[in-house]
Amino acid sequence: MTCGAPLDVRDKVSDSGWREAPRLRDMTEFRFSASTCQVEGELVPVAEINLSPQDGIFFEHHVLLWKDESVPLSSLKTAGGMKRTLGGMPHIVTVANGPGRVAFSKDAPGELVVLPLHPGMELDCREHAFLLASHSIQYSFIRIKGLANVLHGGSGMFMDRFVTGQYPGLLVLHGNGNVLERMLRPGEKILVEPGGFLYKDSTVQMQAVQMPLRTGLMRHSMYLAEMTGPGRVGIQSMYVHHHASD
Amino acid sequence: MNTYVCRYCRQPSDPSAPTCPLCGAPVDIRDVVSDSGWIEQPPIRDMTKIQFGQSHCQIAGTLVPVAEFTLAPPDMVYFSHHVLLWTDPQAQLGNMSLRGGWKRMMAGMPLIMVEGRGPGHIALSDNHAGEIIALPLQRGQQMWVREHRFLCATGNIRYDWEATNIWYDTGEDSQHQDIHYPMGQYGDIFTASDQHGLVLLHSPGNTFIRDLRQGESLLIQPSALLYRDVSVRAHMHLEFPRNMGFAFWHSRWSYHKIWVRLTGPGRVAVQSVYQPPEDSEAIRNSSYTTVYRW
Repeated sequence: MTCGAPLDVRDKVSDSGWREAPRLRDMTEFRFSASTCQVEGELVPVAEINLSPQDGIFFEHHVLLWKDESVPLSSLKTAGGMKRTLGGMPHIVTVANGPGRVAFSKDAPGELVVLPLHPGMELDCREHAFLLASHSIQYSFIRIKGLANVLHGGSGMFMDRFVTGQYPGLLVLHGNGNVLERMLRPGEKILVEPGGFLYKDSTVQMQAVQMPLRTGLMRHSMYLAEMTGPGRVGIQSMYVHHHASD
Repeated sequence: MNTYVCRYCRQPSDPSAPTCPLCGAPVDIRDVVSDSGWIEQPPIRDMTKIQFGQSHCQIAGTLVPVAEFTLAPPDMVYFSHHVLLWTDPQAQLGNMSLRGGWKRMMAGMPLIMVEGRGPGHIALSDNHAGEIIALPLQRGQQMWVREHRFLCATGNIRYDWEATNIWYDTGEDSQHQDIHYPMGQYGDIFTASDQHGLVLLHSPGNTFIRDLRQGESLLIQPSALLYRDVSVRAHMHLEFPRNMGFAFWHSRWSYHKIWVRLTGPGRVAVQSVYQPPEDSEAIRNSSYTTVYRW
């Protein structure tokens, strides 16, 4: 399984260690299982999947751009329906099975982040950021612990969790703006605006911390997400600040 | 003696470097100038570094770029808390109060700025696809910037704000009047009073610069103005198209086009993403406005 990243470009790493997600070239095509994914466009890219008969993908229904008439759709039952609805997450996740073509895009300029997951991996991502995942990936959600998260965390009460069992899988996210990734060493900490958080390895601990700052007329406290390694953290550069109404 | 002046930030610069060390603009490219004289501001290349004091800023990304600061202990930057993307735990963040809190809040401007001090890293980004524009200011230099376009400034830049004096009101009578500010109620003014400093702006879309001669004027969409020299004057201009037909006519409504007229001398910059003023009822009163009826 590949991710479509160009191999003939230098890694772009900032002084502090953030690596830019590789920009997928227009019309890049890569394989997963017996199917292919082609990325079209660069401003608001489209992921066009050519599904083989034995493959399937799941996604939130509002990202579906077009599909062949012959591609059947079904729903993936998710646990914790009421909790999901209250947390602003989709109650029903849609499944498309091959054979046929189906295409997806979000509604904001940004980048597609292609994350091939090896067997036995766990990855968390912010709600509504995932574009599609292959059917071999188990999908669940986790609650971000701590009252402070519930009240102030911009990433909401829940995050999507993607787990691979004995088979690899493909996860495609849409990051708004540019996407940057950093590998945290064990115990290494970084403070991220919750709206900018995109994904993390499940080994990275995330909790809301109060900053010694007051914002807005009501002098609200400011909270950031403290990420503690080891593992990867991905952020997006365009986001709605969780105190944007101040 | 260095005679090379960067064509974008207008500061003495280094022609041998690939990018201007003060504003990050590429040096090794041709000017892209439209027939009417607008100079296209080239985007700052990915991972370009801009030096200030003992610190530097690195621009990461090209779609919604991030300004990542590596701050040395004596240096400080300030910004609105809305643009903070991430920070090292060791970087020191604190509040910087601003005068006129009530008026700022009523105008939708940030009430409180955040100061970030070194040593450590701080990264900032806005939430529009566009470009980061670096404006290095020499001692004594001032720049007017439209509200909400400010990303951050170094600690040696003074931040003030003033009313734009571009407004009009609508409504049937004084009981129901509605005041509109097509260019925002206030504009930001940045001054390098004692020593040179750096201001970073976020410009949605593409950015174009033009130099107006003494007395030269042009009309622009009010919300497209990004920054201007303080020597450039601005006022509202109304155009009333002729013979729009009955479909556009209603006794309460007035079909007009709202512009801002900029008059030189000085430099002006516009962004290609803007929000046109809403169609409004007939204008009852306004700031100083010139009118043209076709």
